[in-house]
Amino acid sequence: MNWKILLPGLLVVALLVLVLASGFGKDPRALPSTMEGRPAPEFELRTLEGETVRLSDLRGRPVVLNFWSTWCRPCVVEHPVLQRYAELYGPGGPVGRDVAFFGVLYGDEPERAQAYLQRVGAAYPTLEDPSQRVVVDYGVGGVPETYFISRDGTIVSKYAGAISAQTLKGTLEAMQ
Amino acid sequence: MICLLGRGLLYLTLAASGAGLVTGLAGGLRDDERAGAWARRMAYVSAGASSLATLLLVYALVVHDFSVSYVADVGSLETPPLISIVSLWSSLDGSMLFWAVVLAVYGAIFAWRTRHGDSGLASWAMAVLHGSVLFFGLLVAGEATPFALVDPVPSNGPGPNPLLQNHILMAIHPPTLYLGYVGMSVPFAMAVAALARRRLDAAWLASLRAWSLWVWAFLSLGILLGGWWSYEVLGWGGYWAWDPVENASLLPWLSLTAALHALLVTRRRGQLASFALSLLMLSFLFTVLGTFMTRSGIFNSVHSFTQSAIGPLFLGFLTLALLGCLLLLSYGVDRLQLPGVPVRRFGFLSRELSFLLAALLLLVLCFTVLLGTLYPLINQALRGSQVSVGAPYFNKMCLPQLMALLLLMGLGPALAWGRTRGRSFARRLALPVLAGLAAAGSVFLMNRERGWVPLCWGLAAFAAVISVQQLWSPVGARLRAARSGPWLAPLALLRMPRRLGAHITHLGVLMAAVAIAASSSWRVEEEHSLAKGESVQFHGYTLGFIEPELRREAHRSSQLARLSVFRGRRDLGELEPALNHYRTMSQALGTPAVLTRPSEDLYLTVVRIAADRVTIRAFLEPLVVWLWVGGLLAVLGALWAAWPTRGGRKPAQRGQRS
Repeated sequence: MNWKILLPGLLVVALLVLVLASGFGKDPRALPSTMEGRPAPEFELRTLEGETVRLSDLRGRPVVLNFWSTWCRPCVVEHPVLQRYAELYGPGGPVGRDVAFFGVLYGDEPERAQAYLQRVGAAYPTLEDPSQRVVVDYGVGGVPETYFISRDGTIVSKYAGAISAQTLKGTLEAMQ
Repeated sequence: MICLLGRGLLYLTLAASGAGLVTGLAGGLRDDERAGAWARRMAYVSAGASSLATLLLVYALVVHDFSVSYVADVGSLETPPLISIVSLWSSLDGSMLFWAVVLAVYGAIFAWRTRHGDSGLASWAMAVLHGSVLFFGLLVAGEATPFALVDPVPSNGPGPNPLLQNHILMAIHPPTLYLGYVGMSVPFAMAVAALARRRLDAAWLASLRAWSLWVWAFLSLGILLGGWWSYEVLGWGGYWAWDPVENASLLPWLSLTAALHALLVTRRRGQLASFALSLLMLSFLFTVLGTFMTRSGIFNSVHSFTQSAIGPLFLGFLTLALLGCLLLLSYGVDRLQLPGVPVRRFGFLSRELSFLLAALLLLVLCFTVLLGTLYPLINQALRGSQVSVGAPYFNKMCLPQLMALLLLMGLGPALAWGRTRGRSFARRLALPVLAGLAAAGSVFLMNRERGWVPLCWGLAAFAAVISVQQLWSPVGARLRAARSGPWLAPLALLRMPRRLGAHITHLGVLMAAVAIAASSSWRVEEEHSLAKGESVQFHGYTLGFIEPELRREAHRSSQLARLSVFRGRRDLGELEPALNHYRTMSQALGTPAVLTRPSEDLYLTVVRIAADRVTIRAFLEPLVVWLWVGGLLAVLGALWAAWPTRGGRKPAQRGQRS
């Protein structure tokens, strides 16, 4: 064994691995939201089909609010995932949780969104927010962001970025 | 069904490479030829199984089977078949599978080529290759599997990243780079085997050199195609941005270049063996680091795949590889034997010393690039703030080193092995020095420009003349000896493939260096807004806006600007730069239009386009085409030198001639 190579080498390896490892655990999407644990801001919005939805009317059901737009690629990526779980956990779904899923359009034309949803399918309604007031109320920084609101109207958690099936399922299960 | 079958095949790959690892180690440690033979058979099994799994995934992509998670992630009904196939490597899971299969196939080829050689060395190398396949197999069978079952099955998917659908080069650049990047595992495995057995014989050295050249050629081609793609697609008029992932491909290229030169000294003079082996191991470690950088999501870059859980696994693999290399080096380095390799000392003014210097310089360049690439991370770890290191750092730090390398590219071949007599050396340098001064002087006179460009041109001309002299000398000798007529004399070169290959590569690199210096310093860029029918003068060209045009395809729609191009009164045809809109991306993606001429490229991109008005950005890029030509020449030279020679002369004997 040549210790003159081994010992300094070990030191360099240790330093390099430390530097590289320090890059982990800094998931830019896991930004803590100051909204967590607070009551979800009330809103009254119209769906793309024209029906009015009030958050307070949904009290007693878990709510998933997904801010999205047609121009955002991660939104398109996560759409099938949300779609799937809206069918599973939504009213009448096999899991029987009666979770209310809503999309909220962020900086996009309702016509474009409608055309897009017709093409890819929509398992839950999308709300128009013409003045973007709800976007401001919830402190949305960019799309996609997904907010989870409990039965009693509190924001349980928030996820920024394309949500994966595992994360979505885990959060839905935890919401009860 | 496909998911089940795909996973089954991946488990078979895992089992085979696990068994191969054990039998390979047994064969290497105990000199057991039967175990070695089993390690080889396992290599064929894992190559077969992983190839079938890959074909299965390609099939699922082509028939749009959205029950397969990878297809649900990157496929879409609108994607044309060719792009469906290409999307195999467009996203993390598929690219890992592709990696595993390329590695496994390399393992099988290696097993086949070493079936008659030194079984102890071959078994060790097989064990290393099986170990790598095992790691990538674990990733694609577990954490990053493309064969997860999706239920309920979505009706359509998002389609691959639009950037990948924009140019045919995306079908070639990644696999080529993979052939080089993944192929680095083979020279690495061979270096590990040599250190573990403390034995590096002439045959192993010859094969190590051939594999390294092969890998070098593909790595170079991959980097070159990446630059070309960036130039033809991204529309910023450049081909290299010092992006972390570009750097990640440059690092192993630099260290492998150094390793090739050190290997040459080992093969000819029995010196620098441990240095060469360390450089080979370093090159492999750089490929793992590079993959970690693209896959872990800790860097921000065009190439980054999405953030994923495999980052820590990769870091674990990298750590393991680093520790293994260290242990092996300290174990094998002092008592490395070189049977069958001539061992000779060298003096100060010798080719060996210049090769050593070049290798060291390349190594310093490596660490300069590595430092710049990792600095944002180091800074974040120490101070917690975000910084980015850009082109100014890299250009400033690397340029002087690159100039010194150009100088050595000339000096090295001009020096003799062992020792050079000062007077004959000076005489040999007279013509190259004159050529260099002439080139630098004419650049200076033409542009009144001081600084790097004339220096680069001068050094390149100096080195090029030396390379040509080196190629000329056997031809001239043959002519003087009147052994063949003037037409047949150049055939002498065909009998020295290594010399011919090396100098073709050098000439290619020099051509590329000159083109890079010219295109990066003398580039002109202007923005013009044109109404329909209007035209504008741009450095000798007349650009006229004919009309806009809309083109629709299934997966995108394009707005083209049809422009007529005249040089003086000569009609050079039409150029059609475009903006493309993809259904999965709101931002338009531009496609530049390039008119390539030997002296310069006219490069047009669309900034804005409306019914009767277009804003274009026009670039004049001098001599860019010679970068691609030079790069291809360098690759061809390396392949020529790596090509297995027919004829049964032993490497040691052949070594005397070239």
